[in-house]
Amino acid sequence: MKFTSRMSRGFAVAVAGAAALSLAACGAGDPAAQQGADESGKERVTVGVSVYDMSSFITEGKEGIDRYAEDNNIEILWNVAKMDVSTQATQVDQFIQAGVDAIMVVPVQADTLQPQVTAASEAGIPFLDVNATLNNEEVAGSVQPDDVAAGAQEAQMMMDELGGKGNVVILQGPLGGSGEINRGAGIDQVLEENPDVTVLAKDTANWSRDEAVNKMKNWISAFGDEIDGVISQNDDMGLGAKQALREAGMDDVPVVGIDGIEDGLNAVKNGDFIGTSLQNGTVQLATGVAVAAAIARDEDVDNNLVYTMPAITQDNVDDALEHVVTDRPAFLDGLSELIAENLETGDIAYEGLPGQE
Amino acid sequence: MSNPTQTEVMRTVSESGDLRRFSGPWFRELAIRYAMVIVMLLIIAFFLYRSARFGTVDNVTTILVAAAPFALIALGQTLVILTGGIDLSVGSVIALSAMAAAVAAKEMPDQIWLAPIVAVAVGFAAGSVNGFVVAVMKVPPFIATLGMLTLASGLAFVLGDGAPINGLPAEYGQFANTRVFGLTIPVILMIIMIVGFGLMMRRTSYGLRVYAVGGNPLAAQIAGVKTGRVLYSVYAISGALAGLSGIMLSSRVISGSPNLGQGYELDAIAAVVIGGASLMGGRGTVWGTALGLLLIQTLNNGLDILTVPAYWQDVIKGVLIVAAVAVDVWASKRRRS
Repeated sequence: MKFTSRMSRGFAVAVAGAAALSLAACGAGDPAAQQGADESGKERVTVGVSVYDMSSFITEGKEGIDRYAEDNNIEILWNVAKMDVSTQATQVDQFIQAGVDAIMVVPVQADTLQPQVTAASEAGIPFLDVNATLNNEEVAGSVQPDDVAAGAQEAQMMMDELGGKGNVVILQGPLGGSGEINRGAGIDQVLEENPDVTVLAKDTANWSRDEAVNKMKNWISAFGDEIDGVISQNDDMGLGAKQALREAGMDDVPVVGIDGIEDGLNAVKNGDFIGTSLQNGTVQLATGVAVAAAIARDEDVDNNLVYTMPAITQDNVDDALEHVVTDRPAFLDGLSELIAENLETGDIAYEGLPGQE
Repeated sequence: MSNPTQTEVMRTVSESGDLRRFSGPWFRELAIRYAMVIVMLLIIAFFLYRSARFGTVDNVTTILVAAAPFALIALGQTLVILTGGIDLSVGSVIALSAMAAAVAAKEMPDQIWLAPIVAVAVGFAAGSVNGFVVAVMKVPPFIATLGMLTLASGLAFVLGDGAPINGLPAEYGQFANTRVFGLTIPVILMIIMIVGFGLMMRRTSYGLRVYAVGGNPLAAQIAGVKTGRVLYSVYAISGALAGLSGIMLSSRVISGSPNLGQGYELDAIAAVVIGGASLMGGRGTVWGTALGLLLIQTLNNGLDILTVPAYWQDVIKGVLIVAAVAVDVWASKRRRS
């Protein structure tokens, strides 16, 4: 395995050398003749991508990645770690051995991949963590959602709905993951400012709709009408909670989520959710690949970017739905341009929604 | 010196025998015969004592609704385990059949009734492959169904192009959420299936043959039982029930997720084992499985009501599963002596 990959790399070097020689022989500076460049004028680069699992978010993100890669002469090696830390480590090892130009990881867990990050940096391969952080100083770049702000944003929506008084339950992501920790921190900040709001129960449903529905049903058994609101750290669990409330005839209890997946946005539109925060996977993950490719091409780019999720309410949910679902082809068509502009301004979450500046 | 002599051992044994007789043969008999029921009652009593809301009708319904999808796969698992096999693939088959049903619903929203048929058919097909590989190709069940676990999970991702299927028509929810006589369809299905399978295993020659294959395959074959067919059938049934479970789970939340049912096979196996079945085959009952299942679901529910954090719930469940089986093993030894 290792031997063959070394051989193929040797072969690649030989080809590159031959190409350089022939270029020199021609003495021509025709950019189109440059090795690997296409009509976009950009050098071809390979980016290895390993994601924690195929959530709705990652799936939308993959569409964005594929489209952006197609438009910008990037080859994507796609791997799914299925929530397993060591699988992810193996996948990154393979990227390094294959000699990719950049590696982008959506980590399973924050305190992992230390040896892989070191190996990548020794091999001169830029390594980026996107969407969830790796506790590692050596990463070459980072594209991160502001999960603390998103948690605070959803908690604030709930406080406004409840008038700063009442009892809530909180559905958490997988305990110990950076999403759960950071969104939880944001929620806690807002709860601290609202001493009249009591947390009746708080537990994980592992981002999953069918786990959340049973968890919520059990809490309804425990607290019944005392529950005034549900703060869910993502849309899927919020939708599960809504189903449980519906089964119990408690339709009027407000629910708030994060992520803005298709079903979540529809829930905002039809009033099942009071709101959500749009984490547009298409934009965020494609931006990750854009930054990875830019670093690999030695372009000037901000390598530490923060994605601040726009709040989605009845007021702008129609536009969000267009971007994520109903008018998706048009949105994907404009994606490369949007990302290029966003990288200029630094506001990588901008997608022209009402309320966004 | 420190080693007890034979007479000492015998005296201890006879003394403890005296003690047991002293505690009353009637009570002892009951405790031994219904060890698992008593464990269950103790757990229920504890939750009732700790929370006034545990014993309400609404909460009992909540437990039953949560139990239903597990009950279906636990029944299939019971049959498989009775033959001395194991079906590790049911969790993944749930995901695969739910995804297939969701694809069908998305592609043909006007023919929504196709969804449950697709789910059961896909589950049956996956189970049939298991059955064929085990019965005809003689691959050990652990390996055969481990292969299917991976394969079905992979196919589930293929069907969704690697993603959950969202935006399903609202009618997709009717299969799990329609109420008949105040109970949702999954709960009714669960009750029908438990009673049906219970009677089938007790009263029909098919049931007898399943026990025979698990108890002593060679003797069964000599007695004229077509062991291959019986083996094939239990895996096919287990697969079809997983398909049914898949449509129930995904219909409840109107979404097809390739991660649905992940790890459910372990809860199903736990339910069967807690219910007193032997992994060696030949010993176990449908009623026992139903009891084991309710024990696990009651724990899930009661611990949530007491707001015990999820990680502690896992610790407590793990300990109780082993303890429950240990008590049962102890009791069954006493039963025989």
